[in-house]
Amino acid sequence: MTKTSDDRQSEQLPLLTASVKAQGCAAKISSSALFEMLAGLKLVSPKELICGIENFEDAAVYKISDDLAIVQTVDFFPALVDDPYIFGQIAAANALSDVYAMGAKPILALNVLCFPACDYPPETMQEILRGGASKIAESGAALAGGHSISASEPIYGLSVCGLVHPDKILTNSGGKNGDYLILTKPIGSGVGLLAQKAGLLSKSASDKLLQSLTSLNARALEIASQYDIHGATDITGFGLIGHVLEMARGSKLSASIEAKAVPIYSEVEDACAQGFIPASAYTNRTAYQENVLYDHNQISLALIDLLYDPQTSGGLLLACEENQAHALLADLLKNGLEASVIGRFDGGHPGTISIV
Amino acid sequence: MSKKELDLRGLTCPQPVLATKKLLDDASVQEVRAIVDDQINVNNLTRLANYFRAQISVAQKNDSSYLVTISRSAQADHGDAQAEQIQQSQLQIDKAKTGVVVFLTKDMFGEGDLEFSRTLINLFLQTIYESGQRPDAILMANTGVKLMAKANSCRKVLDDFREAGSEVLACGLCVEFYKLKEEIPVNQITSMFNIVEYLFACGKVLSP
Repeated sequence: MTKTSDDRQSEQLPLLTASVKAQGCAAKISSSALFEMLAGLKLVSPKELICGIENFEDAAVYKISDDLAIVQTVDFFPALVDDPYIFGQIAAANALSDVYAMGAKPILALNVLCFPACDYPPETMQEILRGGASKIAESGAALAGGHSISASEPIYGLSVCGLVHPDKILTNSGGKNGDYLILTKPIGSGVGLLAQKAGLLSKSASDKLLQSLTSLNARALEIASQYDIHGATDITGFGLIGHVLEMARGSKLSASIEAKAVPIYSEVEDACAQGFIPASAYTNRTAYQENVLYDHNQISLALIDLLYDPQTSGGLLLACEENQAHALLADLLKNGLEASVIGRFDGGHPGTISIV
Repeated sequence: MSKKELDLRGLTCPQPVLATKKLLDDASVQEVRAIVDDQINVNNLTRLANYFRAQISVAQKNDSSYLVTISRSAQADHGDAQAEQIQQSQLQIDKAKTGVVVFLTKDMFGEGDLEFSRTLINLFLQTIYESGQRPDAILMANTGVKLMAKANSCRKVLDDFREAGSEVLACGLCVEFYKLKEEIPVNQITSMFNIVEYLFACGKVLSP
């Protein structure tokens, strides 16, 4: 149960999210700001570096030999729920997801932890790490160390190393005209976490949301790897629109999203319509809206807001041919994943999205 | 009828929108004047006002904070389309007008075995919904308002209609009388005056 700021003062311990200004991937810096910052950097680009900064990939990929490449990523964010164990699980699932999004298998993980050691007992820190370790173990990777510092907000995540065959790498840029887009988790977690904090979500909706956020994308990738996948990414801070747009740009295609087909966590659309929307959803909107077309009379504002909503530990977005898509979708559903076809790539103006 | 003031500066999300929502949830609050730090909170409150079908006006103050005024008329029916964000839903309804109003004055379909008649009303609503027909409004009076109770099996399909663009409204007097005030969203409460207006203005009334 979420407490108000008044309740908090009567508590002995501050809530884990008390000092946090932006939760989860909602804390991500906007892509346009990032682009400007990175533009001036001097970069070394050895030929072995297959995926670097250029296409805003989920992780870096370095080819070691003809049949082996390493995938390296780091991801961390401020506490987004008050339960430290669940926070640890979500942060770890989110970091591991970048490796899966490249088609790779995680092998090593390092903890990244910032912790206000004066404000919370050591058990809280332990619980965060225990939650993270549970997901690392589930992924089959080895937890091999990490780094922690004292800080004003609790922040946790992982640096993860994975392995992949260079021919099996899934990038942002492999999509083909006519490809179907399959999403393997619902969206709306940014709004959902705010609504949960506000006490608007029922217990079952809240449990289901957290269950989804703590679940790994391992199974989705395992199933997808049996199909001919042209491109993949995971849906995180830039929202569904931002990540579809990255793939469309990378693939030099346009995309269409069928708004009604996009699965949304339960009770979240209503909270969204009431204005429980994280700041970075608006940042995402500002960053991407000039490339997004839709008819205001056909699609509700709440739905559009949700398409821009920053996601934490979101699902995989997979691009594949139509006949593959039908079989893959059936396979994902059969395995209990909340997957759906949410749109497709088409031959319109490259790097644009139409929402229908 | 009352007016409330809130100073929401310095609070982090979702506190500003939550505090405002709590006031608007109380139907006796007619106006809320809130001071917020930034445009994000203005955006969120604009959506909240739209949700409650209330009017909103925003004024930027000298210290770069914003004064947001949310007010609703006594009938709490149609919001003002002034703010550019307050868009779609209303327009969509106007555009898609079918001229059909469903008027439910009891919580069952016709007269007969009680349980059977209650199953029939659910079937009636489901059938309309699944046929793709969208009435402009579904109006409920007398025991008809009980269909909106949370435990009633018709509540879901009524919510589906609302989601699909139909107005779903319950007579305020009846809601009060059957003590269902807690269960029905305040923006779905209407007056006998409005019901009469709807019935006269529409082309066809379906009343099983």
